[in-house]
Amino acid sequence: MNPNMIPALIFLCPFMTALMVPFFHTKRSVSQILTLAALAGSFFFSLKGLSITGNGSVIHHYMGNWTPPYGIEWRLDTLSAFMSLLVSALAFIVIFATGVTVEKECTNAKIPYYTIVLLHVASLLGIILTHDLFNLFVFLEVASLTAYALVASGNDTRGNVASFRYLLIGTAGASFYLLGVGYLYAATGTLNMTDMALRLQELGISRTVFLGVTLILIGLAIKMGLFPFHGWLPDAYTHASDSASALIAPLMTKVMIYSFIRIVLWVIGRNTLTTLGIGPILTVFGTLAIVAGSIMAFMQRRFKRLLAYSSISHIGLIMLAFGLGNKTALIGAFLHILNHACMKAALFLVAATAYHRHGIDDIFDFSKLRGKMPYTMAAFCVAALSMVGIPPLAGFFGKWYILVGSLQAGKPIFAVLVVLSSLLTALYFFKVIEQTFFHRQKENVTVQEGPLALVISTGSLAIGLLILGYFAPAIFHWGFNLLVPAGVF
Amino acid sequence: MEIYSIRPILAILVSAIAAALILFTNKHKNLRESWTLIAATLKFLIVLSLFPLVTEGKVVVFKFFELLPGVTCSLRVDALGLYFALVSSGLWIVTSIFSIGYMRGLQEHEQTRYFASFALSLSATIGIAFAGDLLTMFAFYELLTIATYPLVAHKETQEAIVAGRKYLVYCLGAASVFLFCIAWTYSQTGTLTFQPGGFLENAADPKTLGLLFILFIYGAGVKSALFPVHAWLPTAMVAPTPVSALLHAVAVVKAGVFGILRIVGFVFGPDLIRDIGMGNVLAFLAGFTILFASMMALAQDNLKRRLAYSTISQLAYIVLGSALLTPSGYVGSMLHLSNHAMMKITLFFCAGVIYVKTHKENISEMRGIGYKLPWTMIAFTVGAIGLSGFPAFSGFISKWYLCKGAIEAKLWGALAIYLGGALLNAAYLVPVVVTAFSRNGQNFKPDESSWTLTKPPVITAILTILFGLIPLLIGWQLELANMAARGIFGG
Repeated sequence: MNPNMIPALIFLCPFMTALMVPFFHTKRSVSQILTLAALAGSFFFSLKGLSITGNGSVIHHYMGNWTPPYGIEWRLDTLSAFMSLLVSALAFIVIFATGVTVEKECTNAKIPYYTIVLLHVASLLGIILTHDLFNLFVFLEVASLTAYALVASGNDTRGNVASFRYLLIGTAGASFYLLGVGYLYAATGTLNMTDMALRLQELGISRTVFLGVTLILIGLAIKMGLFPFHGWLPDAYTHASDSASALIAPLMTKVMIYSFIRIVLWVIGRNTLTTLGIGPILTVFGTLAIVAGSIMAFMQRRFKRLLAYSSISHIGLIMLAFGLGNKTALIGAFLHILNHACMKAALFLVAATAYHRHGIDDIFDFSKLRGKMPYTMAAFCVAALSMVGIPPLAGFFGKWYILVGSLQAGKPIFAVLVVLSSLLTALYFFKVIEQTFFHRQKENVTVQEGPLALVISTGSLAIGLLILGYFAPAIFHWGFNLLVPAGVF
Repeated sequence: MEIYSIRPILAILVSAIAAALILFTNKHKNLRESWTLIAATLKFLIVLSLFPLVTEGKVVVFKFFELLPGVTCSLRVDALGLYFALVSSGLWIVTSIFSIGYMRGLQEHEQTRYFASFALSLSATIGIAFAGDLLTMFAFYELLTIATYPLVAHKETQEAIVAGRKYLVYCLGAASVFLFCIAWTYSQTGTLTFQPGGFLENAADPKTLGLLFILFIYGAGVKSALFPVHAWLPTAMVAPTPVSALLHAVAVVKAGVFGILRIVGFVFGPDLIRDIGMGNVLAFLAGFTILFASMMALAQDNLKRRLAYSTISQLAYIVLGSALLTPSGYVGSMLHLSNHAMMKITLFFCAGVIYVKTHKENISEMRGIGYKLPWTMIAFTVGAIGLSGFPAFSGFISKWYLCKGAIEAKLWGALAIYLGGALLNAAYLVPVVVTAFSRNGQNFKPDESSWTLTKPPVITAILTILFGLIPLLIGWQLELANMAARGIFGG
């Protein structure tokens, strides 16, 4: 097989299947199996791509053989292979897990749920793979539109409102992004990332470029839910169907963070972190996000809402790490993207199981779950402790490298903040753990575990966190010069 | 000389595996408890098998992974680590037997969770003992916090839940500070591996190092219940008594003290601490803790709370010993680490027996109880007298070395506190014995059925006497302690 085709294949697997699924939309089980097959295909090709790019080489794919800067270039380097592997693997696990809940939750919605899911994942993969700023916008829009649909897909009508709100804010974000790309195009006359990077070096930062960059970054910040642009996120995650939020929450924001970092480092250059002050601004927003997100999470009653605010806090942590402008912290941030995606997927699956099986989504009712779902709640404990950053679980290592990075960057104040973020995370997760395990509910408990697929997926994610914890340092060493090549950072 | 072996990790894993087995056999009580006993015995044997290697001067190493350039997470068994591991794994066997008697005697709920958490805590404790670098030690500190939290909150009353919260806030807060210090140390020195005599020399200016030292002591000191961060320990006494016995007299608090011994001897080193003038700061803090906690102990009527304050004060003895920065002081600290463990666990066991047999917790209600529980209260008496430092009990030997250390360091204040502290010790423990053996007019029949409950205190009391009398046993203790001190102080 021609390795140049791999980027296209990663994308085409879910995309083409998305077109086939509607024919089976009356039989959800068939659609689910097709979806899983497509995602497995993506996963396989991502893995293959990673094995090729794992030594630092880059696969270029030119759409229709039009060479850049005229045609659209897709590019698979180590970082995009890493991200596409993460996205396809997690999407596979979540889709595998939520078959039963989709059946139950999306009865009103006459949409072929799996088509939307596949389009969503395909466009996320597109965002990861494309090396063209306008092409990125297209996928950004497809990913967002499908996400709006997914948020509204449940039986809960509040999902529609949340979806509409997400649509308004998300459209604003996309418009910012498009406007920014327009300015940059006006200044440089190109849309290819590498080409634009070269021209920007010659041009320097003119006012047009500055405006373009600012708009692009604001647009992406809105899309990723960086505080204070997070307004859409809590409602969207809370009121979406459980299956949909388990899919969107771990992936969407992470991919947005990825494209933010990609554009800053690969297009406008790492110097802008200091010259344009992007780094300091990010650290400020990150700080606010960590503190505000954690406090808001602590105040929530609904479990999914707590998780949503926790996401906001951790997005802040990742952006803070990026803003530090230190390579250890940056790789730590990528590690945390990986870990956080796995943890959040596990936690949202726990939320789905609790609601699906016992109708419980209020934290203060979690005491009723005691003893009923031993495996699910064990997985919950692992994921929560990993979020807190208890070694040797995976969540610890991302934080550790960010911590070391901030000290290496000579900014001990942010090191304090990273440590503080762990404590704040502990605050709201132990609240749930305490409710679940230490509030007496003396009645004859019969074990009523969730559906088998859910339990298997949640459990394997929890075990995965242990394994990931053991290999985290190895991933760090491997990724140190590969994820972000020396020339870029 | 280093030798590579998987025995250190086996010693840690054996109780972790037991914890898993306990969870899966929660329906079969006897089978479930047998895992605890098997794991305890195996663990002790594995730790014991390292003894000959370490006394030959070898360091047993097991490597996990390279975390950062220059930082390899590893287990390294040296004299100090082995010493602590022997104490905690040895006493776990006795405590396991006692736990079974206690939990069944009271028909406690959630026994599976209890035994699983207990086994996991022991894994963490041995991990702390064997940790070869700061980060590995931190990891097991965190694990210990998490594993003991369910034990503290075990009763599930509002009081227990609040105690659990308090415990978490104290311990996780300290762990954060500890983690920050570790990252800071790494960014200054590029290494985290423990070295006898320390590795921080010339790492930064004295003021920065002083601050780092204080933060480190805070990070480890919360677990060792040093004033002013001691408040969680008396609150945590709401836990079942075997938990108080092993975790709040041996594993958790001793892990904290052990951390301080490591930091003093293997991270900073006595010379550096003397240079930056932090020895006296630590000594003052510990000295104050001894006096303050002893006074507080006098004022408690609840037996377990009195013992808790006594623990706080005795732990500060150990910290003070290390703060003297002399070989004898360090040896004394190590000896007291094990001797206090034996005596205090005896006292807690006795408190547990009293609670199961009579449901009494307050000393004022215990009049004449010595006639109902004669062996138990004799064991209590041994523990009480030993703790006061009476010759022929193990407490005497460690206090002897501590006083010698104070004289070597020419810190007369410390010497005065050691001697005066012994009096205070007697003042708050002997009245318990007196009350227990006073006649109150009732005729008690001795009732000490259920050997799993009543024999362990007798066993540990006998140990207290043996380790105060038998030269061979004392010799083993001293051999390890001297090895550790030689490594740190040279010569």
